[in-house]
Amino acid sequence: MRILTVDDSKTMLAMLQHTLSDAGFDVLQAEDGQQGLDVLAQEEVDIVITDINMPVMDGIEFIKNVRSSGKFQSLPILILTTESSREKRDQGRAAGGTGWIVKPFDPEKLISVINRVVH
Amino acid sequence: MSDLDEFKATYFDECSELLIDLEEQFTAIQDGDKSSDRMNAIFRAIHSIKGGAGAFGFTSLVGFAHEFETLLDFVRNDKIDFTNEVIKLCIRSNDLVADFVEAARNGEELDPEYGVTEKAKFVALCKASSGDSGDESGEPMEEFDIEFTPVLVEMEEPTEEVTEGWLVEFIPFRELYTSANDPLLLLRELVELGEVEVKAILKDIPLLTDFEPFSVYCTWEITIKDKDIEEESIREIFEFVDGDCELKITKFEMPVDEQAFNEDAKSEDLEEDEDMPSFADLAAEIAPKPEPEKLKPKVADNAANNADSDAKPAPKAPPVGMQSIRVDLDKVDRVVNMVGELVITQSMLTQQMDDNLRHRYQELVRGLEVLATTTRGLQDSVMAIRAQPVKSVFSRMPRLVRELASKTGKKIKLEMVGENTEIDKTVIEQLSDPLTHMIRNSADHGIESVEKRVESGKEETGTIRLSAEQAGGSILIIIEDDGAGINRERVLQLAREKGVVGEEQQLSDDQIDNLIFAPGFSTVEEVSDLSGRGVGMDVVLSNINKIGGSVIVKSVPGRGTRMTLRLPLTLAVLDVMLVRVADCPYVIPLSSIVETMQCARVEFGRLPTGARVLKVRGEYVQSMDLASHFEMTTDVDEKDRFVVLCEAEGTNKLALIVDAIIGQQQVVIKSLEENFERIEGIAGGTILGDGSVGLIVDVQGLKNSISNQRTAAA
Repeated sequence: MRILTVDDSKTMLAMLQHTLSDAGFDVLQAEDGQQGLDVLAQEEVDIVITDINMPVMDGIEFIKNVRSSGKFQSLPILILTTESSREKRDQGRAAGGTGWIVKPFDPEKLISVINRVVH
Repeated sequence: MSDLDEFKATYFDECSELLIDLEEQFTAIQDGDKSSDRMNAIFRAIHSIKGGAGAFGFTSLVGFAHEFETLLDFVRNDKIDFTNEVIKLCIRSNDLVADFVEAARNGEELDPEYGVTEKAKFVALCKASSGDSGDESGEPMEEFDIEFTPVLVEMEEPTEEVTEGWLVEFIPFRELYTSANDPLLLLRELVELGEVEVKAILKDIPLLTDFEPFSVYCTWEITIKDKDIEEESIREIFEFVDGDCELKITKFEMPVDEQAFNEDAKSEDLEEDEDMPSFADLAAEIAPKPEPEKLKPKVADNAANNADSDAKPAPKAPPVGMQSIRVDLDKVDRVVNMVGELVITQSMLTQQMDDNLRHRYQELVRGLEVLATTTRGLQDSVMAIRAQPVKSVFSRMPRLVRELASKTGKKIKLEMVGENTEIDKTVIEQLSDPLTHMIRNSADHGIESVEKRVESGKEETGTIRLSAEQAGGSILIIIEDDGAGINRERVLQLAREKGVVGEEQQLSDDQIDNLIFAPGFSTVEEVSDLSGRGVGMDVVLSNINKIGGSVIVKSVPGRGTRMTLRLPLTLAVLDVMLVRVADCPYVIPLSSIVETMQCARVEFGRLPTGARVLKVRGEYVQSMDLASHFEMTTDVDEKDRFVVLCEAEGTNKLALIVDAIIGQQQVVIKSLEENFERIEGIAGGTILGDGSVGLIVDVQGLKNSISNQRTAAA
């Protein structure tokens, strides 16, 4: 299973990488939405985890872009967020986000959330 | 190193980068650039610092960063005016964040009162702007909890003698599918809760002719036969689709026999369910396939937009972030060390080749030549790994200059050149303090007040120019100002008063200028708030010397001062001159050697104290016979020996007398203290080409020992 992680924080990318690799995922990384789109254009990905606050292209914009392509309508996208306000989360969902992960994440919880959105 | 430590290291590396970036952003903001790009960049940086801090449980950092972030969020959304007051508060808070990060890095806890005043200001500002304190600002940790909104559920009164459980009615809307959620997965998760019966309600599915691909026809009824399951855990499963479906969760009661009946039905129902195609898949299949090129023009457009925007022109990394990797410094050092050993082995092999062998084994000679070239190349490449742009140090300077300007009431601008010049990481780390001090010195003592500048016909604004460039095997860092220059009369007078210079001693202009580096010397009588913090330029010099560098100052009265810092490209490898003293090899760092002479061709004299001095171009330089200093005897005739004229701190010279000069080479420095013990006058050891140990002469140390003897004698 291939998973694309999009976050401008290298720490977060590293932690995701660690948890996900251990769980047997093949992990791809991108540091902003634009890079994320670039990866999606080239690679087959089963699920995306994306941060919201990012330079160049933020998570909301990224999700909108992904969903605008018919090819990715059933691609699960999890929003990675520390925002407590429902506002951001709802924006992400309205843009087409499948679900969300609250940072800092518990590894088990992360895997269970992923299992909730992918086969 | 545990995983957590590794993540922490990554986190702190990232924090350092972010803090440098923040510094730059705030500098630009102070210069009047309050663009939203900058504000967003600042917000993101603080946000990232906070995010990581939360993961590692640095609560005080999280607490502070959270409040700061809230304020920044208000500012970037124009809810608070970005006045100078607010800017100052932000800059101060940025420093505090750095302190919190530093404390976290060192595993320390700061005073609980630390940053409380600033926090109070954030809250007050946000409160004033929004009319209420805002629930975000109150509890910093709040957002790390997953919250559930309690939902009122209609419940039937449970009666005795029946099995209780939950009935879940699940009616997905179209939106559930368009956000790539999949009912099957949700049902699968429900099944994991306990005994579950799933019933698909298919009655609404129309004939194929009436079937609309994007409509939802199927709904589900799920029975959970376990009353002990919390409603919350059921709701949690549907958390992501809240609002995208109709969900009714009801507690129910059921006769025992019916339960048994349903038990059988359960597995069949589920299987039937698994066979059904997922609607998400279906939708994807029916949806028109996008042409593969579709994304590409968009990507190009965005790249172009990036280039146009004035946000920081960060080089665009390749998609998977492979442009750089983070490697533990220890690992790099191990490689550096091993390459060092390789260089030694290689030169040892080369030395073993005598003429006889050379003739007999020409292939071997060629091989060795290739090995030599490759080894050098390898060494250069490895050294390059440790190199970093001086930018990380330079970037702290604009702010310093601004602070100095505002404190002194002078007008000063800072120009920086060559920020991308790369130096060894260790050198960079040691560079910050000396550089800060020298800039302070320039701003405090060099640049004149506005009135004085106008009087002497200069521009009101003084300029400090900070530049870095590579010159051969060294890096030059030059700090120039167009200020008043060094007041030589005052310097000399003070030096005489303080006994740094003897009454009768005549000094050249250069020597006077360099007196500012003499220990215990400070030209400003009243210790100023800025430069004079009890640390003189002598400390700067010794710091620079410690990393194998030197400082030279040149000054033109009325025109300005230039301080040139010469630093080695790397610390691990040293260019040396190999000499022999009493049949033992010694190495003298090339950077401290001024010239070499034959003893037969120079003139020595004796001071009344008995000390031997070398007369060179009208100047007397203290001389030292290395053989007798290290208590060894040599049978080489005085006239056949050599003088190596060395330069210690500033322009202090010392003439070392050695038996022979063997040649120049590069050596890998080995610590003597680590392997043996500290010896005065010896800076370390190295393994030479033939495998023997060469001791590295510490010129400054030798010079000091003479001064000490003199003081002791007096």
